[in-house]
Amino acid sequence: MHTYYRKKTAPVAIADGNNKEIDYKDVELLKSYVMESGRIIPSRITGASAKTQRQIARAVKLARFLALLAYTDQQ
Amino acid sequence: MNRHYEVVFLVHPDQSEQTPNIIQRCRTMIETNDGQIHRLEDWGRRSLAYPIRKTTKAQYILMNIECNDKILTEIKHYFHFNEAILRSLVLRRKHATTTPSAVMRSINGDKEKTFKGTPGPTTATKESSVAKTRKTPDVTASNEEEQS
Repeated sequence: MHTYYRKKTAPVAIADGNNKEIDYKDVELLKSYVMESGRIIPSRITGASAKTQRQIARAVKLARFLALLAYTDQQ
Repeated sequence: MNRHYEVVFLVHPDQSEQTPNIIQRCRTMIETNDGQIHRLEDWGRRSLAYPIRKTTKAQYILMNIECNDKILTEIKHYFHFNEAILRSLVLRRKHATTTPSAVMRSINGDKEKTFKGTPGPTTATKESSVAKTRKTPDVTASNEEEQS
């Protein structure tokens, strides 16, 4: 299994004030977890923990709603 | 009882002169009812990632407020029926936030990175040789570039 070998740690974001979670406003950070097509990268590739991956997904979806990120690369 | 909320709303670019009025309206609603605005940020006109109501730019406003639920309902109602506001988002928070947000920091040209820790050679020891043979996505390259 390729997951057996790959154990790269994902960068962790610094909190926005009191929030210790990944922030939907941090577009720079979120872009590194999103493919060029706009899709969220699976955690087995980024190495993010399950908890972090859930936070990333939530943040990406909020950012997409606010048009900070695209849903897709197609028109 | 006052709760903390984070509010982001988008104003149509053609009506961005109304933005100060909108903010003032919210401010009076909040402060006349023992509320507080902890943080107010104007990100200016930003390009949208996809068109909303045929426009590709919008004025972004971020507010961190503390108010009771009745005022929040009024604010939401106001946003809903104001045609200048394209989209709004209200999130419940546990604490007030007063530090500049990541977007504001990048607008001000703050060089401080929001990343903590690097994905790096320290973690991959025996696995590194195997990992290198695999195709790595663009993510790795861009991360390493940002960290350097």
